[in-house]
Amino acid sequence: MKGRALRWAGLAVVAATVVLAVVLASRFGSDPSLVDSPLLGMPAPDFDLPGLDGSEGTELSSLRGEIVVLNFFASWCLECREEHDDLVAASDSFAGQDVQFVQIAYQEQATETLSYLDQAGSSATTHYLADPGSRTAIAYGVFGIPETFFIDAEGIVVGKIIGESDALVLGATIDSIMSGEQPGQQITGDTQQRPDG
Amino acid sequence: MSDRARNIVSITVIVVMAVVLFFLVSTRPATVDRVAEIGSRIKCPVCQGESIANSPSQMAEDMMDLVAERVSSGTSDEVIVDELLGSYSGAVLLDPPASGNTLALWIAPVAALVLGVIVILWWRRHPGQDVEEPPPPGRSRARLIIGGAVLVLVFAGIVVFAANSLQDRPAVAAGAADLGEEDLSDVSNETMEAVIAANEDDPQIVGMRLALAERYFEAGDYRSAFPHYLEVAEHPSATDPEAITALVRLGWMAFDGNGEVETAVRLIDQALAIDPGSQLALYVRARVLWCGSAETEQAIDAFEGLLAQPDLAPETRSQIESDLDAARAGESCP
Amino acid sequence: MLGLLGSAGVVAALIGSVLLVIRGIGLARGGEGDLRRPAKLVLAGAVVSMAAMQIALLTDDFSLAYVANHHATTTPFPFDVATAWAALEGSIILWGLVLAVFTWVVARRPADRLGAAALAVMGGVGIFFFGLMLTVANPFEVCVDALTTGCAASSPWPFAAVDTPVEGPGPNPLLQNHFLMAVHPPVLYIGYVGLTVPFAYAIGALALGVPGPEWLRRSHRATLVAWSFLTLGILLGGWWAYEVLSWGGYWAWDPVENASLMPWLAATAFIHSGLVQQRRGMLQAWNFVLVISAFALTILGTFLTRSGTINSVHSFTQSAIGPALLGFLVLVLAGSFTLFAMRSHLVASSPRIETFVSREGTFLVNNLLLTIYAFIVLIGTTYPLLLEAFTGSQVGVGEPFFNRLAVPLSFMLLLTMGFGPVTPWRGAPAGLLWRRLRGPAIVALATGLVVALTVTRVAWVILAIVLGVWVAAAIVGLLIELAGKRSAKSGSSVYTEAKTVIRNDQPFWAGQVSHIGVALVAVGIAFAANLPLHAEVELAPGDSVEFAGYTLTYQAPFRREEPNRLVQGVRVQVGQGDRVLTTLEPRANFYDNEMGGIITPAVMSRPGGDLYLTMRDLDSETVLLGLDTSPMIWLLWLGGLVTAAGGFWSLAARRRERVLPEPRVMADV
Repeated sequence: MKGRALRWAGLAVVAATVVLAVVLASRFGSDPSLVDSPLLGMPAPDFDLPGLDGSEGTELSSLRGEIVVLNFFASWCLECREEHDDLVAASDSFAGQDVQFVQIAYQEQATETLSYLDQAGSSATTHYLADPGSRTAIAYGVFGIPETFFIDAEGIVVGKIIGESDALVLGATIDSIMSGEQPGQQITGDTQQRPDG
Repeated sequence: MSDRARNIVSITVIVVMAVVLFFLVSTRPATVDRVAEIGSRIKCPVCQGESIANSPSQMAEDMMDLVAERVSSGTSDEVIVDELLGSYSGAVLLDPPASGNTLALWIAPVAALVLGVIVILWWRRHPGQDVEEPPPPGRSRARLIIGGAVLVLVFAGIVVFAANSLQDRPAVAAGAADLGEEDLSDVSNETMEAVIAANEDDPQIVGMRLALAERYFEAGDYRSAFPHYLEVAEHPSATDPEAITALVRLGWMAFDGNGEVETAVRLIDQALAIDPGSQLALYVRARVLWCGSAETEQAIDAFEGLLAQPDLAPETRSQIESDLDAARAGESCP
Repeated sequence: MLGLLGSAGVVAALIGSVLLVIRGIGLARGGEGDLRRPAKLVLAGAVVSMAAMQIALLTDDFSLAYVANHHATTTPFPFDVATAWAALEGSIILWGLVLAVFTWVVARRPADRLGAAALAVMGGVGIFFFGLMLTVANPFEVCVDALTTGCAASSPWPFAAVDTPVEGPGPNPLLQNHFLMAVHPPVLYIGYVGLTVPFAYAIGALALGVPGPEWLRRSHRATLVAWSFLTLGILLGGWWAYEVLSWGGYWAWDPVENASLMPWLAATAFIHSGLVQQRRGMLQAWNFVLVISAFALTILGTFLTRSGTINSVHSFTQSAIGPALLGFLVLVLAGSFTLFAMRSHLVASSPRIETFVSREGTFLVNNLLLTIYAFIVLIGTTYPLLLEAFTGSQVGVGEPFFNRLAVPLSFMLLLTMGFGPVTPWRGAPAGLLWRRLRGPAIVALATGLVVALTVTRVAWVILAIVLGVWVAAAIVGLLIELAGKRSAKSGSSVYTEAKTVIRNDQPFWAGQVSHIGVALVAVGIAFAANLPLHAEVELAPGDSVEFAGYTLTYQAPFRREEPNRLVQGVRVQVGQGDRVLTTLEPRANFYDNEMGGIITPAVMSRPGGDLYLTMRDLDSETVLLGLDTSPMIWLLWLGGLVTAAGGFWSLAARRRERVLPEPRVMADV
């Protein structure tokens, strides 16, 4: 009687183990640091940020009616450096097509970002902004950079790229937003979380 | 003092002290640091497992500043937490609520406790020697074999399952954060190599292979890039643009690396056979002709043909124009 | 060359393990054979592989990919030695070496059937770990594609064309920032791997169908070794976090910390319930469950922290080791419990427990609490994984959750610890417990009152002190009572008799030392967690600030080049009144292989607690300093040491016991 109870208990553990193992095994394919942004499909948090060089800033709501490509970057982030030229080129080539590029410096002194931009080049049509107190990065839930948000003409977050993007991905995402689609979240590579490791 | 009197005194002393202590503790003016309290409930997004109250990182401090500002403006705890969850998702909440899909987390320990007590009580009621006969040996052996077979199957299943899920994963730079700037891309390359090697037969790997090859190419490492481009160019499931890129790069490397103009042109012509309008192929072909042979005329023709294409990106156009001018002026290529 | 040597060592150890399994099974079935030679082969192989790795590290042999990717010529002693276990592949060599030593120790006594079966199981575990070293986590791969620093590609084939880099990036800065990181992993691994021995004996006993207490007796010492080292390892881990991670804490319920706590909890429960079986023949089945769980939890912990399925401070990297560990875990759990189910008719029998008011009764309560404790840690650590796998939604589970459940549970355990030692086996006569415990209760409450009136009235601190003193007073009271009785009979002093009492039952009193250690830990945690002060100040050179009764003066920034790093920090003079106490140097250490600096705190320890300074930000004019106190934190370190010391004493006491002539225990079962 008791022996039988123990036997069933033992076998129940075996069954539970197998189920759990399958569940755990299903996690191998995913990156644990990856989190779906709750902002997708929601109105983009507004911001009014000063320019990196202290110039007059930009208010997101003033860009309503155009697609906004919002990129968080810093000079200490290698992936950001990799994608920089493509962002500049895309900003240039989409100039005049109702697409605005906004790049916000993340966790970095404005002077450092500026000297990096001097070196790496910048686009005349991109808004380069500072983010005092990281308020905008917090509002957008930035886990690591580069992260690029896509905001449609109605001010809704319709897409997000985590990791390094390139001309192809940028162009394709903007095109799909122009044709009324919501590209959603895609992961193109690694991100870096903080300058101090 | 009699035993009885001693007991009474002891009980009195214990009760009085306990009551006084309880009184002292419960009347302490409590100062609750709401900022730290909220901070301890939020995981620092750029750290691993630490709360924003604990993490020394700048991002955590910025978030704590935000929390402090909200607290001083009179916002309630829940609203502040919800604001952060609204941008970062529930994954940054370290303090799961006893409701919704984390209810089970709180119920499980209680259920385990109740179950434990029930088992102990049941065990006390049903102790005793078990009279059950052991199963006959023959049957036991059969069971052993069946059990073993089931185990092996389960084991194999899990390994296969795990291996399959591994295949779908995107490129992950293992330990990339541990390494310095110069090495970082290299380590990523290594990981990509590993992922590619492990998924050789997966048609989806072609894209990654090409990306890796491009990295090598940009770094000037033709030797490493070459096998990957070759693989992409020959792979049946490569898309046309992928195959064209690979062929053109192979061509350029044949010229730039080995000075083989003919091979280069042949490879690029293969790309043009796939898409005669490929700007990349046309441009590289023109460059090869200009730089690699005496046939400057052909190169000029090719450049002009390219310029005739209406949908050139502005910077490409200006590049071609300057090349064309230089070629016309009889300069050798830069 | 060293790659070849190391690989040869691994192959030898693997062959030894296979031989152990084959011959062990043969012997366990009644055949003939010798197990000492294969065990020696395993040990020799493991020693050779570790030696090869150490030589490679000490001679900067970058032809090994592991050395090339985790070592640098500038890495100073002892971190060059410790680099051998600073990353995944190397840590498995260490695991294998410790396993080999345990195997060899088990094989030293002549093997009867039970011993042979246990060695076969240990050989099986060895096959897995040495197999890992030849496949998915090969530490002896040679570098075939060198980078400027480090290695891009490697080959497991020792004769492959080697491409040796001239320099490596060095170990992870966090791991080379403090000497504790050199000691912590070996200590912890002795704890983890030691649990293999009771597990192996348990499986051997189940397989042979001899569930009696013999397997417990045989594995008891190994269990104590494992438990003591696990205790020490957890303590060192906490201490390392405190000294290096710069947030002033020692425990964050991080998955890797939980991974070490879960086997500790299970092993603690097992030590107690094992006693019940040895004394009363009860809990036979439960002991099997506990020891299997404890072993499986060490594998689960390793899986969780090394496979990349959970983010943690310590996760090395994501690799194919994950599926391998998971497969092994399933094999262990499913295999063990299948065997358990097949032997259920044998393990079920046990005598009736007369009353819950007995030593065995308190052990039941203790086991229930410890098991629930381990379960809470387990479910809290894995819940985010499970929920996401089942529903796709993401949640976080962290410190607030664990604290809310673990704190009350810990207090319940402390309460039980007061009852346990003074309660006799089989049942206490009426009034005995009251007579023995009223004194401790009064002492505990009185201490609580004094502290409440003089130091603090924070509820958790008072509760911890009352219960901590309760535990200690019950033990001391029991000792005085027993010694007093003897002294009344013999006429010699109570002190002399107390020594005799302790000498006569050393394992018991060693256990009580551990109990007192746990009580100290509880009080230390309560103080450090509830009464710390925190401030952040910005100072220019020459500025002073008052904090926690100290005067802190920012003297000057400094910058120092060390072989493997650049140190940048500030000198802060700490004074009290007119006296200068010390000068602290909170700093950031910059390593070549890390983009930013590692913020490293400076700590001043005094009897009242620690002053803990961190440099948050430094520019040309000012420094931003984080100021913290950790009141009475030394109680925590001391308590941890005392707890482990109790385990070691118990171990030593048992060894001495054996020297005494005693009736031969049944050698063959």
